[in-house]
Amino acid sequence: MVRSALARHPFARLAFSRLAQGVVVLFGALLVCFALSAATGDPADALTVGQIGADSAQIDALRDHLGYGDPFLTRLGDFFAHALQADFGSSYRTGGDALGAVLAALPNTLLLVACALTLAISLAIVLALISVMHRNRAADRSIRGALALVQGVPDFWLAVMLVLLFSVTLGWLPAIGFDGPRSLILPTLALAIPVLPTFVRLMRGNLLDVMKLDFVTSVRAKGLGERDVVLRHAVRNALPPLITFTALQVGWLVGGTIIVETIFAWPGIGNLAVDAVKARDVGVVQAVVAVTALSYVLLNLVADLLVAAADPRIRMVPA
Amino acid sequence: MTRATSALPRPLRLPGLRRRTLPRPGAALWRGNGALRWGVLLLASLLVASAVGMLVLGDPNEQQLADAFAPAGTAGHLAGADPLGRDVLAWCARGLWTSLTVSFAVATLGALIGTAVGVVAGYAGGIVDSVLMRLVDLSLALPPLLLFIAASVVVAPRPATLVVLLTFVAWIPYARLVRAHVLTERERPYIAAARLAGTPAWRICLRHLVPAASTAIIVLFTLQLGYVLLWESGLSFLGLGLQPPHVSLGYMIAQGRDYLASAWWITTIPGLVIVALMLSFNLIGDGLRDAFQLDVEEAVHER
Repeated sequence: MVRSALARHPFARLAFSRLAQGVVVLFGALLVCFALSAATGDPADALTVGQIGADSAQIDALRDHLGYGDPFLTRLGDFFAHALQADFGSSYRTGGDALGAVLAALPNTLLLVACALTLAISLAIVLALISVMHRNRAADRSIRGALALVQGVPDFWLAVMLVLLFSVTLGWLPAIGFDGPRSLILPTLALAIPVLPTFVRLMRGNLLDVMKLDFVTSVRAKGLGERDVVLRHAVRNALPPLITFTALQVGWLVGGTIIVETIFAWPGIGNLAVDAVKARDVGVVQAVVAVTALSYVLLNLVADLLVAAADPRIRMVPA
Repeated sequence: MTRATSALPRPLRLPGLRRRTLPRPGAALWRGNGALRWGVLLLASLLVASAVGMLVLGDPNEQQLADAFAPAGTAGHLAGADPLGRDVLAWCARGLWTSLTVSFAVATLGALIGTAVGVVAGYAGGIVDSVLMRLVDLSLALPPLLLFIAASVVVAPRPATLVVLLTFVAWIPYARLVRAHVLTERERPYIAAARLAGTPAWRICLRHLVPAASTAIIVLFTLQLGYVLLWESGLSFLGLGLQPPHVSLGYMIAQGRDYLASAWWITTIPGLVIVALMLSFNLIGDGLRDAFQLDVEEAVHER
């Protein structure tokens, strides 16, 4: 019944299969989370190390309280039962809800990622356009050369150098913290610049592929100049792969925010994760991993469906 | 006489044919490829500099507290000294070596494991294939750095554990790439011929399928060297990777963060070393990619 309904609606079928894949990915991410807590060993020991006067009875009580006395499979089952109810326990450090802490920090990270993506994509489109319109000439070569150099700059070092230049030497922008749009500038740059080369290369490649298509030839035959061919016809057709690619990059961008947030003391989930790891606060680490995986899955689902909705050819191909 | 020879059927002269269909490694590749040449030259000079530095400059962990914050250019501390009086240049020489060994170890292990898995998945299909593809999805959903950070709750960072940890992620792009190549390659008639001739599956994989993907594997290898370098130094920078007495460039960059205004050299110089090393990896990778006309990144979607 469901099967036949799906067969008749390619779009629904695509959505269904992507959704199923997403669920599998989330399941895997939760397994990783559980493996973390299982492999960390007993937090009761870690928590009571150095605590003067903690006797073995107290440690046992804490262990029972945290559920670490149970057999392995019970713990696995408990973990999934709780995780599915969006419960990753409480933070050892603050005593507050682990997931709550992550969700409170998430908007800050998303703001940063959104700004960086907007900057990177718009810059990448402009650079790719210049590069394609002047391909194999000086402008194209210098753009590609500069990007090859940028690609070699480690993101954390770039961030520190930005601070050195704009905060320490010139004193233009705040080095750390989170007040006002001015403090958004440096983290955004530090996040956007390292991903720029990949975006430009992809966009340039897309554009060049599109330029080989028949419709471009016919537009040219119509007498349109190279500028109009690229700006009015080729760009639009080169954009969809960029959407999917951007969604795929989000996971990696979150990786980048970890470093940028640490350097700029930005109150996002990356900073939270690093602090939590240093304090062996497994619940918070798990929540960060789960939230990251969930946002990745959702974004990719949306991106896939957006592209499929925009381009009928994709809908027709069985997923 | 000469005429008669030149009138002989030409198609038998295979070398010309082969040059067009297969990219021939070696002299031709080297000569026509500026990026590759510069990359290899840079990498070689970095290697030599690192080796000489390690021999001449002594123990990077040695603390001469009297020399703390010695600025770059001081006699005995050409690149300055850090807050504990460790020589930055000696640290860079040793750190460069650490980065190189970790990168090559991880990329090599990843290539071996990933190629094996990719060939099996692509050739056998079925359940192995589905499991692999879900693993790939998962690896894309969890940013490597987050995974490494999470895993560093569990394992103490030493070079050996770090290599194992990074390999957990590093094999996946190879598996995906090799699988994609195998999927198209196994439909070729020569594979069917080999199978009809009774060639066992493992031999088809080793003699035909892996070589067919080899150029792509090499390109990915060079690109991955750079990623691993960034992971290694980034983790160390965050205080979650290699820490003293192990020598990592990322650690020294973190050391200088609090003294940016007064002691720029502690952060800047190790960073420049990483940039140089990254540049050499990227030049070699780009050179090979252009030579083989491969877009490996698209097939793998890494980074």
